[in-house]
Amino acid sequence: MANLNIDSIKDRTFDAIVIGSGMSGGWAAKEFTDKGLKTLVLERGRDVKHLKDYPTTNLYPWEFPHHGVLPDDVQKANPIVNRCYAFGEDAAHFFVKDAEHPYVQEKPFDWIRGYQTGGKSLLWARQTQRWSEFDFEGPARDGFAVDWPIRYADIAPWYSYVEKFAGISGNRDGLAELPDGEFLPAFPLNAVETFFSNHIKKNYKNRHVISARCAHLSKPNQIHLDQGRGQCQERILCQRGCPFGGYFSANSSTIPWALRSGHCTLRPHSVVESIIYDEKKGKATGVRVIDANTKEAIEYYANVIFVNAAALNSNLILLNSTSHRFPNGLGNDSGTLGKYVAFHNYSAHINAEYDGAKEWTTDGRNPAGGGYMPRFRNVYKQETNFLRGYAAGFSAYRWEQHSSDGIGEDLKKNLVKKDLSGWHVGSHMMGETIPKETNFVALDKSLKDPFGVPQLRISVDYDDNDEKMKKDYVEQMTEMFTSAGFKNIQASTDHRAPGLDIHEMGGVRMGKDPKTSMLDKWHRLHACSNVYVTDGASMTSTGCQNPSLTYMAFTARAVDHAIGEMKKGNI
Amino acid sequence: MNRRIAIRNMALILGSAAILPSCLTDKGKPVVQLKKLKVDADQEKVVNNLAETILPKTDTPGAAELGINLFVFKMIDDCYDKEHQADFIKGLCDFADAAKKQLGKSFNEATVAERTAFVNTVDINAKNEKYKDVTKLTAFYKMVKDQTVFGYTTSKYFMTKQIVYELVPGRYNAYFPVKKLAAV
Repeated sequence: MANLNIDSIKDRTFDAIVIGSGMSGGWAAKEFTDKGLKTLVLERGRDVKHLKDYPTTNLYPWEFPHHGVLPDDVQKANPIVNRCYAFGEDAAHFFVKDAEHPYVQEKPFDWIRGYQTGGKSLLWARQTQRWSEFDFEGPARDGFAVDWPIRYADIAPWYSYVEKFAGISGNRDGLAELPDGEFLPAFPLNAVETFFSNHIKKNYKNRHVISARCAHLSKPNQIHLDQGRGQCQERILCQRGCPFGGYFSANSSTIPWALRSGHCTLRPHSVVESIIYDEKKGKATGVRVIDANTKEAIEYYANVIFVNAAALNSNLILLNSTSHRFPNGLGNDSGTLGKYVAFHNYSAHINAEYDGAKEWTTDGRNPAGGGYMPRFRNVYKQETNFLRGYAAGFSAYRWEQHSSDGIGEDLKKNLVKKDLSGWHVGSHMMGETIPKETNFVALDKSLKDPFGVPQLRISVDYDDNDEKMKKDYVEQMTEMFTSAGFKNIQASTDHRAPGLDIHEMGGVRMGKDPKTSMLDKWHRLHACSNVYVTDGASMTSTGCQNPSLTYMAFTARAVDHAIGEMKKGNI
Repeated sequence: MNRRIAIRNMALILGSAAILPSCLTDKGKPVVQLKKLKVDADQEKVVNNLAETILPKTDTPGAAELGINLFVFKMIDDCYDKEHQADFIKGLCDFADAAKKQLGKSFNEATVAERTAFVNTVDINAKNEKYKDVTKLTAFYKMVKDQTVFGYTTSKYFMTKQIVYELVPGRYNAYFPVKKLAAV
């Protein structure tokens, strides 16, 4: 028996354990296995293999039972995830249903999750912008949160590193507030997007409308072909999983790459209950997993553990990893674990019409979605009555509309009659929010999820800064739209709950001082140096860029550091 | 108490999940398989005939040939909430009643020309924002027409023969001359 146990422990021992197989976990898996380390990747959901497990990817609209519309009882049973724009008949199988993983909303919070190999990287909106020096300097300059322990120079080479592999389309726009990267050709702006871009350049200092940068292979390089991926075919059905691997997902890129190395074990249906801390050794020795199918608890061991469970679940795991040394959660000497959670404010939009450029339209579909306006408020200095600022999407479109007037022959004729609409333009805000101690997540004292893990209590809300910023977005965009000659301008704000932005961040923030932060400049827990957190949980502040690219760069950099530490014998 | 009221009251008492029609006539079972809506064979035929009147077979296929009537039932049965389903059933009766009053015979027994004339009036009323309907006839009609149009414009026939839906465009032309579009 003893020998069997030893064998069993040996089988369950790895060089590295990565918790989560999504946007950042996939990168940790790739980086460790590239260096030949025996790596276990734990995924709480089911396995979704590239191509094989995309059941809807090649379906035509008429091949869906309800031609794309979700049945009423599915919508009624899932009020939270149903608010996500991508939760439709073609992709509902990639979203966590409300009842599957309950949580407590102290304040309304739409927690949108994807539990499967690849996580939400299958479902993301694929917008990718680098952070700039202005973003990393933000908290120190404006006196909120704590100072980031890193600067743009620390992360810039790692942005380049991940961009080359993931494949990012964009133009080299030369903007200090949105640094250029290693780009594949951009998807161009159309006639009215170009018109607005020129108008802004001419009339506003330091404001720009550029082609949105996105993780699509506009022109694949050898490294992308080596991954088994091909050129983006402009389907824009990405949420179904792409049969061409045209956009970056962990499923199409990092995970199969790691598996091909022969050093990676991917274990789906593995809900991590906690990280095991060895009081004598003063470090983590492994993780405790609940098998989602058998509900059996199993332990796995490794020298280093990467926590990439997605922002709030990474918080949950650390909060639930208690020991004599860490009664309030692993590494939580500062008492900041679970606190200073923030998100992006997406609650304002503006639409209008444009009479010009009548001779132009578009043909095919634009995977980038149109234009992107980097943050222009409070970039070089504080200049408004609110802190930080917002980026804005901008797109112009026209479409073939048809009338469904009449019945019989008339109706049939109307339905095929081509009638090109005029140009419509639209924008939405993507606002930075300020991390605060009062925006937090914590474990519920009595409620458990179906795996016996405490439910997460989420208490996150907007504040006065968000309201002022929202007002400014509406004012500024209205002014820019008016001066551009757009007509019928309609700004709207909504009262969406935080979370629907799907950019929740923080709770395990980086910082220089162990007394006020959880992670050091290498993403290690200050108090437990063989545990790294490199997903959204590690964010000290939120910027207003789409965050995934930054998580990828953070992860690659942190793995490089961890391997260095292992070589030195430090972990 | 007449039978209709008795059934309605029974439904209230039982709090039944099924949406009971208020004009049950026991005219046999429908062909279409439904989970929530309850219609008899006669009522099913009214909806089938209505869909065919909205989208008749001409030199191109009509609702019946394309199975649009089945799609209409499926959508209303699966994708509409209880309130709308109740309106659908009530409106279906109102529609049948009104047709009978105007045509002097049931909608199903009427000729194609008679049905078309009747539905034309309903269609015009449904589009008129000032038209006040104290019954659920218009609500019912709009549901059937919406789903007929949706089912048709997303059908294989329409998306391959009438327009070309591209699953894989393989291109994005940001500047495309409108002139060229008209020539396509």
